[in-house]
Amino acid sequence: MRGNAAASIRGTIVAPLAGLQKRSELSRRAFLAHDEAVRVADSVTLRSQRLDGVTQENERLRRLLGLGAAVKWGFVPAEALQGRGLGDEFTVTLTAGRRAGVEPLSPVVAPEGLVGMVERVDDGLSLAITWPHPDFRVSAMALDGSAFGIVTAHLAPGAARYFLELRSVPLRSTLKPGALVVSSGLGGVYPRGIPIGSVVAELKSTEGWARSYLVRPAVRLPDIASVLILRPERVRAGVENVWQLGSATDSATKGVVAAGDSVRAARPDTARRLP
Amino acid sequence: MNAVKSAWFALVVVLLVVLHYSLRPVLAWRAPIDFLVIALLLVAVRARPGVAALAGFMLGIMADSLTPGAFGAGALAMTAVGFGASWLKAAFFADNIALNGIFVLLGKWAFDIIFLVAERRVLGTDLLVQAVLWSPLSAAATAIMGLVVLLAVRPVLGAPRS
Repeated sequence: MRGNAAASIRGTIVAPLAGLQKRSELSRRAFLAHDEAVRVADSVTLRSQRLDGVTQENERLRRLLGLGAAVKWGFVPAEALQGRGLGDEFTVTLTAGRRAGVEPLSPVVAPEGLVGMVERVDDGLSLAITWPHPDFRVSAMALDGSAFGIVTAHLAPGAARYFLELRSVPLRSTLKPGALVVSSGLGGVYPRGIPIGSVVAELKSTEGWARSYLVRPAVRLPDIASVLILRPERVRAGVENVWQLGSATDSATKGVVAAGDSVRAARPDTARRLP
Repeated sequence: MNAVKSAWFALVVVLLVVLHYSLRPVLAWRAPIDFLVIALLLVAVRARPGVAALAGFMLGIMADSLTPGAFGAGALAMTAVGFGASWLKAAFFADNIALNGIFVLLGKWAFDIIFLVAERRVLGTDLLVQAVLWSPLSAAATAIMGLVVLLAVRPVLGAPRS
C-alpha cells in the first residue's frame, strides 16, 4: 500500500522533478569527469606526439648514420640549434666549432642534401647560413650535367620565399619539372654531387640570355636536427659517390638509409643502445 | 496578498522546489541545502498553521515518493515543521535577519531530527552523529540560503504578516 502510494506519486507529480534530479546528477558526474577525461586525452595526445617525434628523430638519426658511413671521413657531426626567433630564420647554430676542426666556408649537409655553409666559427660553436639566406649561392647543375647555373634563395614574398632559384642557365638548356639539381663543384666551396633540390617550373627571367628555374629544396629546414660539416680536405676529395643519386631524390635517401641499416647490422651492440 | 503577489509567491515556491531537484544534486554537498524546507517556511510564515501543515504534508509526501524506504517520515516531519513554524511566526519573523536565520536553522534541524527518528533507519551512534553534526551543518547551509531567498523575495512579496 505504502509502496503503491509512493509509486503513484513518483509516476505523476514527482516524475518531472525526478527527471530533473536525474539530469542534474548526470550533469554533475559529467562535470566531475570532464577534467579527468581532458587530462587523459591530453596525456594520450602528448604521448602520441612524443612517439611520433621519437620515430621521426630515430629515422633521421639512421639516415645521418648512413650519411656518415657513406662519407666515411673528413666530416664533423654537429647538432643544429635553430633559434626560430627574429633574425634567426636563415641561420643555424651548430654545436661544433674550431676545436672540432670546423672552418669557415665549410658545407653543411644532411641526409637529404645541402643545408648551407658555415659562416662564422667560434671555439665550440659555429654559425651557418642556410639555403633561404639572401647571401646563399651555390654553383649547381642538373644531375645529368645538361645544364649549369647558380642556385640562390628565391626572394619572393610569402611562402614562395622558401623555394630556391636556379639562375643563369643557358637558353639552349631546358629542364623539366622534377629534374634533380645538385652542386656542380665549381667554385671550390661545395663539392660536386650534393643534392640541392628539384625543378618545379621555369621562371620568367629578366636576363634575356639565360633561363631561371624555381627549385624545391631537398632539405626541409624545420626537420634539421643533426648535420655533418664537411672539412676542406673532404671537399677537395669530392663526395660524388656519397649520395647515390639515381633519377630521384628518393633513391638517394634510400641509399643513405640502407647504408645506415648496414652499419647498424654490422654493430649489433650499437643497435641495442638505440632508443 | 493580492493576485500578483500570490503569483510571485507561487513562482518562488516552485522555483525552490525545482532548485531542490536540480541544484542540490549538482552541488552534492555532504551537508546539503534543503530548498523544500525553505519553501515550506516561506509558506508557513504567510499562512495559518493548518494550511502550513497541509503544505508541509504535500511537500513531504512528494519528497518521500523518491525514498520509499522512509515513506511518510518526510511528510510527518514537514507537517510538524510547517505547523510549528506557522504557529511561531509571530515570535520569530520580526524584521530581524539573525532571528530569521535562526528560524530557518531550527526549522531544518527539527525536520531532520523528526525525519531521522520516524525513519528508524539510522540508529545509535550514527543517529547521534547525524543529528548533532551533519544535520546542524545542513541546517546552517539551509539557513544561509534561506536568508538569501528571504532578502531576495522581500521587495516583491513584502514582509510576512504577524
